[in-house]
Amino acid sequence: MDKELLELEAELKRLRPVLPSRELTAAIGRDLAAPPARRNFWAWAALPLAAVAAGVLLLQPTRTSAPAPALVQATPVAPAAPVAKFKPVSAENVLYAQSDDGLVTLADGTTALRYRSSYVDTITWKNPNTQASLRWSVPRTEERVVPVSFQ
Amino acid sequence: MEDIPDDESWRDWFQHYGPKLLLCARQWTRSLADAEDVVQEAFVRFWRHQRKLGGEPQALLFTSVRRAATDLARRNARRSAREERAEGGRELLEPVFEIPQEGDDRRSDIETALRGLPPEQREVLVLKIWGELTFEQIATQLRIPPNTAASRYRYALAALREALSAADCHG
Repeated sequence: MDKELLELEAELKRLRPVLPSRELTAAIGRDLAAPPARRNFWAWAALPLAAVAAGVLLLQPTRTSAPAPALVQATPVAPAAPVAKFKPVSAENVLYAQSDDGLVTLADGTTALRYRSSYVDTITWKNPNTQASLRWSVPRTEERVVPVSFQ
Repeated sequence: MEDIPDDESWRDWFQHYGPKLLLCARQWTRSLADAEDVVQEAFVRFWRHQRKLGGEPQALLFTSVRRAATDLARRNARRSAREERAEGGRELLEPVFEIPQEGDDRRSDIETALRGLPPEQREVLVLKIWGELTFEQIATQLRIPPNTAASRYRYALAALREALSAADCHG
């Protein structure tokens, strides 16, 4: 890049984006203080299966790329831990279904609006040395309950 | 960037990275209110489900913001054109950057020039300059080759320089 573009780049870096509003920070605080959304049964059942699949796939690239041991070698060498080489590079959440249950009465008698959103979360890990990648997809259902009051 | 320690408060993290995330969210949404919704959803999801993954939390969070923006756009796709025009008008009045002690005209010119960039160039520029992502990370975010990300960045800077030169001449 020429000097003029580098100067413009430096000028842009000096500009500070506006701060998020207090309302946004407060809303995040409320969300994080509330208990996390309940996951449905099949999502939980998928977690251990996905973990097993992830473990198998993680081991796969090192098996193929590791050099064959020399026949004359007397002392076995401990293999390097393959998991540490993978780093997460992206996490995506695809929304594939939404429903509005409308007004519902909760167990404590509170009236509330309930919404459901179904996602598939996909996390990708990559080994920067071998370029091997691992993708892990897990279904997730999120329920949002908004208490309402009538005046 | 380092991993987030377990005992770090979400407030500390959000205070540091929140402005960048909001700026990026504004590239993918139609109004500041929508951008704030997107940042809220993405940050809460990240803090609860993804921050323990290790690696590059900032890159993961930008992905989460982008995905939330895409979901919001899909949900809002049927909103009337009239409402969209009204929101677009308000958005033009809201500054994107903090107002400096002096040189506010220059900041305003830069914001105008940024809005005039093609969206695909603007998002690369914002992710690179203020998101502080590498071209490799931007390429992963946008699902484009790293060379394309680098080219878009250079085109964006050149277009900004041209627009700002024109503004200087007329101003």
